Amino acid sequence: MSAHAPQLERYLERENIFLSEGAGSTLWKALAGLGAILTAVAVMAGFTGGEEGAKIALHALHTGFALSVMLPVTALGFVMILNVVKSGWSATIRRQLENMMVLMWVPAIMFVGILVLQYVLASAVEVTDPKYAPYLWEWMNSAYVEGDVLYEHKKGFLNVPFFLIRSLIYFGLWAVLAFLLSNESHSQDADADKWRTVTALKISAIGLPIFAFATAFAGFDWLMGLDFHWFSTMLGVHFFASGLVSALCVLALTLLVLRSLGKLHGCFTQEHMHDLGKLIFGFNVFWAYIAFSQYFLIWYANIPEETNFYIIRKAGEWQWVSWAVPIVHFAIPFVLLLPRPSKRNGLVLGSVCVIILIGQALDTWWMIRPEVVMSDGHRPGISWIDFVGVFGPLLILAGFYVRKVASGPLIPLNDPRQGQALTHVNHV
Amino acid sequence: MAVKHSHTTSQGVPMHAILAEFSNPATVTRAAEHFRDAGYTKWDVFSPMPIHGIEHTMGLKPSKVSYFCAIGAIAGFTIAVAMQGWMSAIDYQTVTAGKPLFAWEQFTPIIFELSVLLAAISTIAGMFILNGLPRHHHPLLTSERFLGASDDKFIIAIEATDPKFDAQGLKSTLESLGGYGIEEIEED
Repeated sequence: MSAHAPQLERYLERENIFLSEGAGSTLWKALAGLGAILTAVAVMAGFTGGEEGAKIALHALHTGFALSVMLPVTALGFVMILNVVKSGWSATIRRQLENMMVLMWVPAIMFVGILVLQYVLASAVEVTDPKYAPYLWEWMNSAYVEGDVLYEHKKGFLNVPFFLIRSLIYFGLWAVLAFLLSNESHSQDADADKWRTVTALKISAIGLPIFAFATAFAGFDWLMGLDFHWFSTMLGVHFFASGLVSALCVLALTLLVLRSLGKLHGCFTQEHMHDLGKLIFGFNVFWAYIAFSQYFLIWYANIPEETNFYIIRKAGEWQWVSWAVPIVHFAIPFVLLLPRPSKRNGLVLGSVCVIILIGQALDTWWMIRPEVVMSDGHRPGISWIDFVGVFGPLLILAGFYVRKVASGPLIPLNDPRQGQALTHVNHV
Repeated sequence: MAVKHSHTTSQGVPMHAILAEFSNPATVTRAAEHFRDAGYTKWDVFSPMPIHGIEHTMGLKPSKVSYFCAIGAIAGFTIAVAMQGWMSAIDYQTVTAGKPLFAWEQFTPIIFELSVLLAAISTIAGMFILNGLPRHHHPLLTSERFLGASDDKFIIAIEATDPKFDAQGLKSTLESLGGYGIEEIEED
């Protein structure tokens, strides 16, 4: 290491690892402002669009929330994995994941907003039958579950107080882990205490199983709970896999943008790009494997409670979305990212990341939005409210992320494995 | 295989190659850079342990074995779809569990397995085709010094079929690059 030191020193010059003063201040305000406007428009549409508008707005905003929560959550999960495996190559790119995970408070506020909006809309929007009041989680509607035998059996778990306590526990556990790990990393920037890396490892080792349960159950509560008759044991993993591949795509795009701004020479090289490309490819295949297995088992077993979920999505115009999701999310990125040279090319890798993120937005929307059912039983297709409702919350998150990235050093300053990351080479 | 031997050893026997030993990875790497830049094509470096990056130093192109893998995978995919489609939808039509005759869902695990199986087999076959293995003997194995390449010796061998091969010039070049124990290897 010491033999290379003078050469590596220049990678750690302030110019290379800090954005200039005030960078991104216009961008983050623009993104967050636009996101706030779009969210407000979606909420307005919910109040003025009658039964259909209210239900579509609720589900579209919930999609935006679900996407906004899976990014910080799985970024936290991946930071813990990197800490536990003592990953050296990632020591210079880990900071961008940490910047994402500390934004846990943004989706937490969105979650409160969604819950409040659901109850306000349910009482404000008039419907002929209270059974079809605009609820996001229909089991919260007492008129809907009255006399429902299946609900009677699930009542011990699916009741509003316990639901709120569970949601609080998920956010609490994630927030504590994110705070502790981010604190270790940022304190190490200041005091260069290399033992903080060991402390972070211990926190991560304890945190990972806790994180795994919290994330799986959050998926069950927030996504599977939308249709409380339906169940799939794979959904927790599906939620995690969706978030992880998306968080890695956001990480790669962040680093590629910083690189194109002339930052991170030596810290984010073609070698890091290659490894990130491999991880994105691998976790994207993992997502496809989970998503297909879930469908395959339900299709084969043919149990009415389970198949209903897919029957809705294979009927009418939703069937085209059902085909678009695997093509955009899996098939196209699989073929594009398979050859070695495309993982080492920033333009190809960046384009694939954008395609996967579009695919993920489509996947989460496909999972939530077809649950909208009108009093007359029909399920409305795509509407303009979907765009504002999904992208509003996402742009708010993007705005705060830009602010966070611009606010400090772009790499952990005193990580003991920094040397490994700066000299990282793929031999295969 | 009729090979025209334009080079012979000092005993007048057709020559296969000239080899030289090097004392450490650094000198052998430096010598490899020389032969790459001089445009040699039929030569190799032998080392008892991996020397990271030697393939770039030697100017080797990426292996073609991945094409064998891709062809095997595509063949496996096609065969699996055709076989199952023909069997369940054409040849022996039986409705089971109310599923369609041509149900891609239930074909998928077999499509995956057969793609992986044929990809693996064709990759191994491709490797053997490309590296010429297995073979019972190789002229270099007659050299005691060469056998040391699996123990403690770093060796460069340049084959006589290389268009740039020139026995006398090569010996002095190898010596000037730090090579020693230079040997002429006879053709089988």
